[in-house]
Amino acid sequence: MAPTIHPEGDRSALTATAFVEIVDTLVGDFDVIDLLTSLTSRCVELLDVSAAGILLADDRRRLRVVGASTEQIGLLELFQIQNDEGPCLDCFRTGRMVASHELAGVTPWPAFARESVLAGYPSVCAIPLRLKDLVLGCLNLFMAEPAPLAPLDVALARALADVASIAIVQDQATRAAAIREGQLQHALDSRIAIEQAKGMLAESAQVDMDRAFTMLRTYARSNSCGLTGVALALVTGELDVDLVSGQQQG
Amino acid sequence: MSPRFLPNEQSTRIAVAFARQAAKAGGAALCSGCMDVLAVSGVGVAVMSHHHAEHLCTTSPAIAALEEVQFTSGAGPSHDAFRDGRPVDVPRLRQGGASRWPSFMELAGEHGIEAVFAFPLESHGARVGVLTLYQRQPGDLSRNQQSDCVALADVLTETILMMQDRTPTEGLAAPLEDAVAYRAELYQASGMIAVQLRIPASEAMLRIRAHAFAAGLAVAIIASEIVAGRLRMTDDRDPHRDGR
Repeated sequence: MAPTIHPEGDRSALTATAFVEIVDTLVGDFDVIDLLTSLTSRCVELLDVSAAGILLADDRRRLRVVGASTEQIGLLELFQIQNDEGPCLDCFRTGRMVASHELAGVTPWPAFARESVLAGYPSVCAIPLRLKDLVLGCLNLFMAEPAPLAPLDVALARALADVASIAIVQDQATRAAAIREGQLQHALDSRIAIEQAKGMLAESAQVDMDRAFTMLRTYARSNSCGLTGVALALVTGELDVDLVSGQQQG
Repeated sequence: MSPRFLPNEQSTRIAVAFARQAAKAGGAALCSGCMDVLAVSGVGVAVMSHHHAEHLCTTSPAIAALEEVQFTSGAGPSHDAFRDGRPVDVPRLRQGGASRWPSFMELAGEHGIEAVFAFPLESHGARVGVLTLYQRQPGDLSRNQQSDCVALADVLTETILMMQDRTPTEGLAAPLEDAVAYRAELYQASGMIAVQLRIPASEAMLRIRAHAFAAGLAVAIIASEIVAGRLRMTDDRDPHRDGR
């Protein structure tokens, strides 16, 4: 077992700080990328690892590098994605932890192993970021010694990954809800704006509502813009009502 | 009520399943469903944006009038619940609220409403509307009614969002389209008044409401008179009218 480099008192204080940092993000507004990047630095501080990186799946289930404790690790992660091989990819596909401390020997990922050893990391451990059956991505830990990660470090890394997963899911749900809310509000405001714009044109040109609607549509078509866009511009005053009614009368 | 950072997974699943069905039914079914579950005197569900409010459904014309007066005057428990994103409980209307919402209070008195509870319809911070309960007896909601409201608010939020999800881009979900069409004249009238008085359409809505209030007539009647060209407001604002 690898020796722990932190005195236990320091480590428990750091651990608490790391968890508080993640949990805090669940309460208010937060940037998930910021959180994940800081999580990689926390891993290096807390665990007996030299570097850490995080890969997250996008909406098409393609992995992307979102955080790395060093530039070099970011490149090593990218290398795995581009070559479609490596412990992180296996971890993401299976949803299970994948580790190897003999990258200098024979591995299922020869190209990645060669790059990792060259970069100074003969041992690697990939921990899934998951919520129930959904694998969101993975946390990758790189070690400078050809030894496996200590069981206590693995447990702690898993706990950090689990809490980070909750933050990621929360962030995704918030974004999705905001998009849906925006679409609903836009549809409602647009629909109402069309009625208001009809009223404005009817009054301005002294015509009935049907004729006013025709004016609105004709203006939108001849200026190659959408009906709702013209209606909203009239209601907010960005577009002069006389311009729309006048153009078609004169 | 404590904030719910992570909703109970089971209740969310149930809410989504019900919402999927409810989104297919019309708007009116939603309110009667809520009234049955909660055993209250009346229910209103409004869909709101920062600029507009539309009743998705109400359980009676009296409730419709109570919701209407809040949204045209911009004051009332439902309006506040949406604006502040938190429930507004008024278990004894006669003992408070009168000064905050004069128009609403007067109408509530006329219809014998003694208590009002408004819940924002929210999902992951996205606010889509308000669920408002009206009671003819004063008093707090029971613990069961309160927790049912929280669950119903989740279902309604998901239902409303799902109605819109099923609609092609730029369009408005059918039940909402019906709600806007029902009030089309009011919006047309506000556009006409905006031109007559050279004021923003949002302000024109308030003028129509004020005119209706002063005349003791329904907002819809005033709107209809304006659209028919029988009522104009051009003279109201002319600052030189009295001087000339």
